[in-house]
Amino acid sequence: MLRRALLLITLLALLVVCIKPRMLQIVFTDREAAAREMNGSPDRLWPLYPRFLEGVRAHTQPGDTIAIIAPGMAWDSGYSYAYYRASYFLTGREVLPLVTPENEKLPQNFRAARYLAVFEMTVRMPAEIVWQGEGGTLLRPVWGTPPPAGRPSPSGGNAIAPDPEAQR
Amino acid sequence: MTAALIAILSMTVLGLPITLAVDRRARGPLLVGASFLYGSGAIFLILLALSVVKLRWTLPEVTLAALAVFCAASILARRPATGKPQPAARAHVFDVVTLFALTGYALFATLASLWEWDFWAIWGLKARVFLEAGAIDWRFLGSRWNTFAHTDYPLLVPLNFDFVALLNGSWSDRWLGLLCVAWGVGAVLIVRGLAARETSPFFASLLGLALTSRAVSTFIGLAEGALIAFGGAAVLFVRAALRDDDDDAAWRHGALMLGFAANCKNEGLALLVAVTIAVAAVSWFRGGETSRLRRLGTAAKLWPAYALAAPWLLLRFTHVLPTDIAGGSPFSRLMARLPQVHEILAFLITRLHDPWFWIVILAGILIAPAAARRPERFVFLVTVIQLLVYVVAYLATPNDLHWHVNTSWSRLTAQAALPIAFVVFLMLANSLRGGQDAPHAQARPDE
Repeated sequence: MLRRALLLITLLALLVVCIKPRMLQIVFTDREAAAREMNGSPDRLWPLYPRFLEGVRAHTQPGDTIAIIAPGMAWDSGYSYAYYRASYFLTGREVLPLVTPENEKLPQNFRAARYLAVFEMTVRMPAEIVWQGEGGTLLRPVWGTPPPAGRPSPSGGNAIAPDPEAQR
Repeated sequence: MTAALIAILSMTVLGLPITLAVDRRARGPLLVGASFLYGSGAIFLILLALSVVKLRWTLPEVTLAALAVFCAASILARRPATGKPQPAARAHVFDVVTLFALTGYALFATLASLWEWDFWAIWGLKARVFLEAGAIDWRFLGSRWNTFAHTDYPLLVPLNFDFVALLNGSWSDRWLGLLCVAWGVGAVLIVRGLAARETSPFFASLLGLALTSRAVSTFIGLAEGALIAFGGAAVLFVRAALRDDDDDAAWRHGALMLGFAANCKNEGLALLVAVTIAVAAVSWFRGGETSRLRRLGTAAKLWPAYALAAPWLLLRFTHVLPTDIAGGSPFSRLMARLPQVHEILAFLITRLHDPWFWIVILAGILIAPAAARRPERFVFLVTVIQLLVYVVAYLATPNDLHWHVNTSWSRLTAQAALPIAFVVFLMLANSLRGGQDAPHAQARPDE
């Protein structure tokens, strides 16, 4: 009798812990609000970034190499997000990181890139502006030309020198 | 959405003759659930094969290859059924609630474009890259800058996404969540069909309802859903094979599902090893007139799983795709962390997702009569080995251990939950009904 009671209680407990009321509740919740939140969740940090990357995609060709410059330029302070997200939006191109997960600079990638996708930053270096919009600029570096004198930075301190090697 | 729905329907139709070729007796929910899973696996193999022979993926080529598979499987499926007839599941009112829960899951999975970080950094990224390349892009996988995308992971899920994209004519991540729903529904249907063989319609439907939340993954767009479906189905089919006088069809189902699980994630490969060890161990200690060595050979029945896992392992090896956990010296990391193993285990317990579920599972195992527990040794063993493998992986991880546990432990434990919940539920339900083992119980009246 006691065992039967225990069996029944355990079976009921298993049912209770397994059934997720949220799976049933969602049918009655405001899904539009939830959808808005989900849509924005990957890009909470920089809401404009996906649209910027779409613009970069539209102005580059498959096979192009693109280096990403984004605020902070530190792996865990947003650069990993910027780099991974760019890899997803810019498939077909070769997206190059400028810092490693250990925050070491990668100057060889800076030089190897045909384009620089610069988001919410200003780069002071000789470069052709290919496209501008959605909070960023797509640059084609012109190597071998001296950098122009002090271009103003729209985002305060978010400026990067021509060669990341100089920032070491 | 249309492309995703057509893809799911096509996979199910493609999988139908495959399921019947594996088991001519398959009927009802089990037939539908297994058909989708086999179709999903077959599409992966077709895209993989086209890529290996350097044929660019186009919809007509993939369709032709799928038709060839369909015809071959249809010829094989014409063989007469062998083995004991299996009763089809009878519907029960609780099935309506299960359907309602799955509808809720489908609404969640399709709320928005896929939002998970791991989707756009791993699974979706690879699918999108391959779609543009029209094949598996080995250059992308081999690039040192792309190791973050876990280039060694097997490709069943990305290639399934690519099939949807081929039908769609371009990449869109808006409705790919429907595939996760389909994997979950496939698992629920198989669970429901297998439960119907062993208990009454009332308990089988209640089990289906209870296990719905364990058969689906809330990590939409990742390979978890596919792994839970293939892996869960594999363990339950092998269990059925061991219980039901070595039912050949169940062995074939189990081995094939296991092979596809190994093509979902590296944890699927770990599951393959865990199942092999558990089958060998259970067979070794099983009574009978045959020699122990011969009984050990039972594990050889899993050869189709190894045959399915081999191509990706070979490709991964020949293209030298690194596995992060094996980077550097995993053995020395493991040895260095071994003295703190008790602290690590304590940390895993504190970080256990859904602890009440595991407490009830443990309670169920302890409370169930020994006669009901004994036939379930296989699933217990598989679960324990799986969890052990995860612990060893944590000990050897090159990442920060706390970070690694925090970002993966809940997913890993969810992967192991379906089969153990299935057997504990059945042990309790059948013990309550008065029979520890009630094969073909659909024929019995409800209590």
